[in-house]
Amino acid sequence: MTATIQPDTILRELSELWVSLGKEAAGETSAGVLRACAMTLVTVAEDSEDASLIGETVAALMREHPSRAIVIRFRPAADRALDARVFAQCWMPFGQRRQICCEQIEILASDLSLPDLPGVIVPLAAADLPLVLWCRSARILGLPGFAQLAGVAQKVIFDSAVFPDPKAVLSDAANRLREPYALADLAWTRLTCWRSLVSQIFDNRSYLASVPSISEVRISFGGASPPVAAYYLAAWLLDSLERAGASPKLIWEASDGDAGTFHKIALIAHGSAELAVRLEAQGSAVDVSVDHLTACTKLGSATDYDLLREELAIPYRDPIFEKTLMRAARLPHLS
Amino acid sequence: MSLENPFQDPLRFERRVPECAVVIFGANGDLTKRKLLPALYRLAYEQRLSSGFAVLGVSRTPLSDDKFREHMRESVKQFLEDSPFDEDVWKAFAQGLFYVPGDVGDAASFGAVAKRLEEIEAQRHTGGNALFYLSIQPSQYQEAAAGIGAAGMARGTGWRRIVVEKPFGHDLQSARELSEKLHEVFKESDVYRIDHYLGKETVQNILAFRFGNGIFEPLWNRRYVNNVQITAAESIGVEGRGAYYQEAGALRDMIQNHLMQVMSTVAMEPSATFQPDAVRDERAKLLRSIRILKPEEVAENAVAGQYGPSRIGGVDIPGFRQEKGVDSQSQTETYAAVTFFVDNWRWAGVPFYLRTGKHLPKRVSEIAIQFNAAPHAVFGEDRQGVTPNLLILRIQPEEGISLRFLSKRPGAGMQLRTVSMDFNYGSSFGERSPTAYETLLLDAMIGDATLYTRQDMVEASWTAIEPIMTAWHNSKMAFPNYAAGDWGPKESDAMLARHGHAWRKP
Repeated sequence: MTATIQPDTILRELSELWVSLGKEAAGETSAGVLRACAMTLVTVAEDSEDASLIGETVAALMREHPSRAIVIRFRPAADRALDARVFAQCWMPFGQRRQICCEQIEILASDLSLPDLPGVIVPLAAADLPLVLWCRSARILGLPGFAQLAGVAQKVIFDSAVFPDPKAVLSDAANRLREPYALADLAWTRLTCWRSLVSQIFDNRSYLASVPSISEVRISFGGASPPVAAYYLAAWLLDSLERAGASPKLIWEASDGDAGTFHKIALIAHGSAELAVRLEAQGSAVDVSVDHLTACTKLGSATDYDLLREELAIPYRDPIFEKTLMRAARLPHLS
Repeated sequence: MSLENPFQDPLRFERRVPECAVVIFGANGDLTKRKLLPALYRLAYEQRLSSGFAVLGVSRTPLSDDKFREHMRESVKQFLEDSPFDEDVWKAFAQGLFYVPGDVGDAASFGAVAKRLEEIEAQRHTGGNALFYLSIQPSQYQEAAAGIGAAGMARGTGWRRIVVEKPFGHDLQSARELSEKLHEVFKESDVYRIDHYLGKETVQNILAFRFGNGIFEPLWNRRYVNNVQITAAESIGVEGRGAYYQEAGALRDMIQNHLMQVMSTVAMEPSATFQPDAVRDERAKLLRSIRILKPEEVAENAVAGQYGPSRIGGVDIPGFRQEKGVDSQSQTETYAAVTFFVDNWRWAGVPFYLRTGKHLPKRVSEIAIQFNAAPHAVFGEDRQGVTPNLLILRIQPEEGISLRFLSKRPGAGMQLRTVSMDFNYGSSFGERSPTAYETLLLDAMIGDATLYTRQDMVEASWTAIEPIMTAWHNSKMAFPNYAAGDWGPKESDAMLARHGHAWRKP
């Protein structure tokens, strides 16, 4: 191994950081700092990405998911270079006397040093707590050494929306379900608002009674082919409906909207249990119509912070996602 | 075919309220303004409410829907805790707010409420689901329940539930009468007796702490626990509630409900599941296991106190008898401390000390579990200043858990000192915790009664309290017996001293 950073050195620096934070805080408030840690969050990003943006997202996540944060920034260089620095993210919760701090380690790495990273990450990870790996780059996810790095994680989070070929990424992701770690796709996480709206409609018992009669699922998308999210949504709707006894037909509808988006879904039941449920995106809101009743609901924000916040709350396998991913990968490709 | 919603995803979706209407009797009162509406608004903000959610306010003051919305807007803005006020969310939420003037004492009012509720059901598609919240004088509960029943509102196409605030009666007999009256209209499973202490995050965390971790439960018994102290101290007096408080007193107002519910949570056996009735069965069993004091045992195991005038921080504090609306010879206790023993295998011989009081030195609610000292003094007998291991579950103001244990002082020699390991809910997780009313209202609308008090629990706690009430009622107390700002009367310290214990000074 030719790593130019030593985990022991980083751990010593972390220890010194806590001592100095404790002294500072004791001087200021006499209440000390509180060290909290519920997991190790490893963020893998391109060096060209905005470092401050990643830092802000990670810092915001600390409030709900206090972690030892390790940010690895990759550059496609020909040498096997590694470098690291250590610092703390601290904040004073509103109305509290004591500040809360979390550790952050930043590692700069070249592509060639990827195989060296598991040997650095394992000793740096907080003991006995889950390690979650968030990979922000499609390029790095495809590097040959990535599987080794992913192997040290309990959960790997990626975003299939940044991949050019939806069917290829779904197929690749479905294969990864055999790995021992849990897998999460932020393209699926973005659907939670939509899925929750659909589910909420069928909390109503009279609409629920019509579910077995739903015979059509229509999804309209912009561009030439459906984005990954549309495949996920279709797979989830079909699975859910079939579980309730329906035999729906999936109908794709190309529309004039932006490529890579879907903007309308419809669930239609004919016959005695006639029902038409339509959800249509209108900017940051969704128009929901059930038969002749309509309502407008604001979609929650879906920043990286929002999506990660949701995923970090599930540090284990998500059976509904896995089932949906398998089904989505099997759906006929529409090009 | 399954009737379960096939689109549910419990890992991802927050618990949601199905379509329903909440009918609040006493919609102009303090509780509605300070707690209920801010909690409901917050649930709307969190997108936990269905789009057809509605609130129907009922109160004597004549108000239009718009005026009611205006009043509630001001209240929500004023009393929203640690939360932003979002104008758009409010606008959508306010569309579901309605008002009908009505008096609980007037039977015709219930007809008007029923008519309005029917209109709202049609307009908002609430599916016939309705939660009736009695935010009114306890003396009006029976009348209100009967009125709801007579107007046909207790039955509908959906579920119908009723929430009542404490006190649930003023003794065992009246608690039974109240339950009987409620049961004439609602089934017990549809009666939600709210005890906001049980909705507090730390009280719920007691269950997680005890039953989610393997290391504490083995210590949670008479072999390792020396005594348990449950304190709910208030630094303020009766604050204009003198007339009410004079009828209630600390024993009825706090110990019979809040503190005994907390005690049952701390001491209950693990339930087989986290189903509402499984948890409540264990709580009820614990309350029924409390040893009932004989009349001659009351003086040794229960202490009443009443604060007298004092001067705190340069401010003159009137005694309880000098408060507005209070009888100058009042025999009402503003402080109560009780020693309970639980007659079961787990807790036999372990005293549970419960205390509450007005005008104590600070506002604090906590449970302190004191463990037995180490069996052999390896480090010498001179252990002055060394306290035994303590596990403190803090309910307010800073919710959290602390563990006190001994550590070696740095330096030569083997000198020990007590250190504290703290877990602070608020600062360990920067996220805000839901208020007790958010949790409890959501539970009631979903139909989860785990954190609500059942009739048998109410009766068991009254049964344990009644001998004390009777003895105090038949005695003439030498009040006042503690100065405002003190930790209660000396007799309270003596009560613990008889068992070789002392109150913690939180």
